[in-house]
Amino acid sequence: MQLDNLNREHMCSGHVGCPGCGAALAMRFLLKALGNKTIMIIPACCWSIIAGPYPQSTLKIPVLHSAFETGGAVASGVRAAHDIKGDTETTVVTWAGDGGTFDIGFQALSGAVERNENFIYVCYDNEAYMNTGVQRSSSTPYGAWTTTTPGQHWKRLRKKNIVEALVAHRIPYAATASIAFPEDLMRKAKKAKDMAGSRFIHIFSSCPTGWGMPSEMSVKIARMAVQTTIFPLYEVEDGLRYTINYTPKGYLVNEYFRLQGRFKHLTEEDLESIQEMVDEDWNLLLRKAGVALETS
Amino acid sequence: MAAQQTPTNRTPLLIPCSYLTTEGNKTGSWRFLRPRYEEKTSPCSAACPAGEDIGRVEMLTAQGSFKEAWETVMMENPFPGVCGRVCYHPCEQQCNRKEFDEPVAIHSLERFLADTASRYELQLSLQKLESKKQKIAIVGSGPSGLAAGYFLTLLGYQADIFEALPEPGGVLRWGIPLYRLPLSILNREIAQIRELGVQIHCGKSISQEFWRGGKSEYDAIFLGCGHSRSVPLKISGEDLAGVKDGLQFLADIRRGEVSALDGTAAVIGGGNTAVDTARSAARFGAKVILIYRRRRQDMPAFAEEVEMALEEGVELWELQTPVNIAAQDGDFVVTLQHMHVIGKDGQRKARVKPDSNKKKKIRVQHLFKAVGTEASETWYEPPKKTRGMLRLSNCVLLHKSREPTLVYGGDLVADIKSVAHAVASGKQAAIALDILFHEGLDAVRPRLQSCLVAEGPSISWETYIGGPRSLRNQRVVRYSDLNTDYFQFAPMMIQPRLLPEERFQSFAEINLKIGASLAIREAERCFNCGLCNQCDNCQLFCPEIAVTRDNNPRGRHINYDYCKGCGLCVVECPRNAMILEEELLCDTS
Ligand SMILES: Cc1cc2nc3c(=O)[nH]c(=O)nc-3n(C[C@H](O)[C@H](O)[C@H](O)COP(=O)(O)OP(=O)(O)OC[C@H]3O[C@@H](n4cnc5c(N)ncnc54)[C@H](O)[C@@H]3O)c2cc1C
Ligand SMILES: Cc1ncc(C[n+]2csc(CCOP(=O)(O)OP(=O)(O)O)c2C)c(N)n1
Ligand code: SF4
Ligand SMILES: [Mg+2]
Repeated sequence: MQLDNLNREHMCSGHVGCPGCGAALAMRFLLKALGNKTIMIIPACCWSIIAGPYPQSTLKIPVLHSAFETGGAVASGVRAAHDIKGDTETTVVTWAGDGGTFDIGFQALSGAVERNENFIYVCYDNEAYMNTGVQRSSSTPYGAWTTTTPGQHWKRLRKKNIVEALVAHRIPYAATASIAFPEDLMRKAKKAKDMAGSRFIHIFSSCPTGWGMPSEMSVKIARMAVQTTIFPLYEVEDGLRYTINYTPKGYLVNEYFRLQGRFKHLTEEDLESIQEMVDEDWNLLLRKAGVALETS
Repeated sequence: MAAQQTPTNRTPLLIPCSYLTTEGNKTGSWRFLRPRYEEKTSPCSAACPAGEDIGRVEMLTAQGSFKEAWETVMMENPFPGVCGRVCYHPCEQQCNRKEFDEPVAIHSLERFLADTASRYELQLSLQKLESKKQKIAIVGSGPSGLAAGYFLTLLGYQADIFEALPEPGGVLRWGIPLYRLPLSILNREIAQIRELGVQIHCGKSISQEFWRGGKSEYDAIFLGCGHSRSVPLKISGEDLAGVKDGLQFLADIRRGEVSALDGTAAVIGGGNTAVDTARSAARFGAKVILIYRRRRQDMPAFAEEVEMALEEGVELWELQTPVNIAAQDGDFVVTLQHMHVIGKDGQRKARVKPDSNKKKKIRVQHLFKAVGTEASETWYEPPKKTRGMLRLSNCVLLHKSREPTLVYGGDLVADIKSVAHAVASGKQAAIALDILFHEGLDAVRPRLQSCLVAEGPSISWETYIGGPRSLRNQRVVRYSDLNTDYFQFAPMMIQPRLLPEERFQSFAEINLKIGASLAIREAERCFNCGLCNQCDNCQLFCPEIAVTRDNNPRGRHINYDYCKGCGLCVVECPRNAMILEEELLCDTS
């Protein structure tokens, strides 16, 4: 990748993301790779606020704020308008939170990618509805506290595997990425930009405020999610060809959970069963990627 | 600053369109913690008796800036070629990397830099400070005297070295054998010191008359006479004709006065002299037995040397002490008393006592004594306690009003007798004298305190003269302070060596040269603890785009207008070259 591109910033200081916001970093990295020939659709989420109130904008590219559930649909329209104008160069990107992707925006997203609309859909995943005060989403992981899964009623359901749902649509490109691995993230964004059709990037974006952790830990936590295979880095082309980008070194999940307030109620037994789930998911991914199963 | 009026989209649209950036929001006002660049001290540099700036040396080496790396060493130690070979490298024992995989081969890299400087005949570009009127005489041209001369000259003083023997170097020339330290290396490093302007007068033995009675032209005298007299065994038969002194034997070898040794040789002692005597005797053909009264782990000789001696076929007899030596048909019969461990003597060594009457005799053809050395004249040693005396960490300073100030250094005052400690004493003496001449006796201690590496005892020349190193925090970086996620496992380089069977054939150097690519790879293993190596993680991981590259020596700065104090830069700095402080407590200027 050209260093020149990476040195360029398409985002300004003075935005109103919380200190240590992973979503702010995710945006910064993504735009470094995509460049300024990009138009962005942002359905309601933290980033609707971070991007700045009228007449300010923190992004140096055009942004359309859209209704919460419409990320996929608005992007389809924006793409069509550009095509009519003969502008095939501009990259159309939807930038949505996990609520806007996994839950309320899922129908519009599924419809758009089923039509193989020519755009990139990026979900920055902070694992809850953060902008409205930490409500659980279908992306909230097993074991997590949120304001809608409080106290002893912590979430006892697994996180939806959104990438696999997108892979099931057989789109040209689906990938996971993490703010702790900026080079990998930017490579994937660049790769997606150079492809046509529906492309999906799922970025793990830690949220110090909603996860109950010190702001300086947000990259470290994101890295641990990858190291433990809680959030594996991989990409899938045409819904078929899997590539795992990071081979973990056998870290256990405990420390990841212990560092975050949202998991502080979990017992050793809970963590053991979570470790089993994580191992199961990882082995399933290995099978799909055609990598020999780890004998444990 | 006024809000920047940058339109983000000039196309007239029928929907509201933002025309300002967010740069008008000075979100730095949210901050209650402040990150700051602050370089700290690496544990290796604090463990190096000479206080070399190892983290920086390895950084420069990894970048291929060999001359700068070599000069960075030379700023603290004029003997990288010697120390890279013979120093027992306490630095490596403190290397943080040893908790990750294995320590960095610091001594091999030091040697590589010196060899590279020699190969390309690099010229030292360290600047001497403006010349001063004081003159200093140095007695002895061992590493302590040579280092004192080197640093005094750099400080602008005239330094004259007087050496009793015909050539300079002390133990480096007459003691340490060639298989560990080739002459060409020593000669080059001494030549460099001469080129700087240090006068070395050989064949001049100095007595106390030199300065007594106020007739000296010198303002101070540095005594670096070393320990050259062997300590006696105090047993009967030790003065029999043919019983040799280890140190003398090593010097005889250097003078070319030793020929083949047949039969068995016994060497009595456990220090460096004993081990080098044993290894040298083996090279002259003898079967060698090294006899030591305590155990292997108690030997004062450096562990690596002991190991190599054993590899070379030297037999070690532990817990044996000679009680009698008798002559028999040209051979020696040594009676050995078996010892046993009865406790601990201080921190390290075992305390031993004769094990009842267990004795045995051995018959040998050659016998060498090497149980320790001492100063050969009583006046070489500092008096017990007098007025005007300062006992410093590496030397003793005796200030007199009518006579030149005396500084005792090197082995004369060292607890650990090593080349690096000798260098440290010469450096400390030079700095102490400079402080004394400028600010008086009372200033010596406090000023020396300010140029300690960490908590000392090592001191830094660069810090003393106010170089960039003086800006560092003296706090030592520990393993837990690092972000090791950024480091990959890589084993320590393997030092190429002559095979044991090749070593017998000559006094050729055992450790072979390493190439630049291996050196760079090894230097890249260094964590550069506490030092910024421009990795740019702080800039990369700032969610506020508040870290900006610029032309200052650090390469970047933090824009506190926008820094919210999240602390990501500090945590993602792999090497702990930043700190996060409470906003109220820090200087806002
Ligand atoms: C055999 C041996 C092996 C060693 N191996 C190692 C090793 O591997 N690593 C290590 O770090 N250390 C080693 N050491 C220790 C190290 O060599 C000494 O600590 C170091 O050389 C001490 O330096 P110095 O300047 O105090 O004295 P020396 O090196 O002893 O030099 C003193 C000099 O002063 C001269 N001199 C004495 N009196 C007078 C006088 N009146 N007038 C003029 N000149 C005088 C002497 O001739 C001599 O040249 C070894 C020592 C020995 C003996
Ligand atoms: C239809 C609709 N329902 C509810 C909202 C209120 N709302 C705004 S942002 C948000 C949460 C968004 O969560 P997510 O997509 O995960 O993004 P995050 O805020 O976590 O970044 C909600 C519920 C809305 N704007 N529109
Ligand atoms: S709530 Fe979380 S995701 Fe939203 S701005 Fe704050 S840190 Fe970022
Ligand atoms: Mg969310």
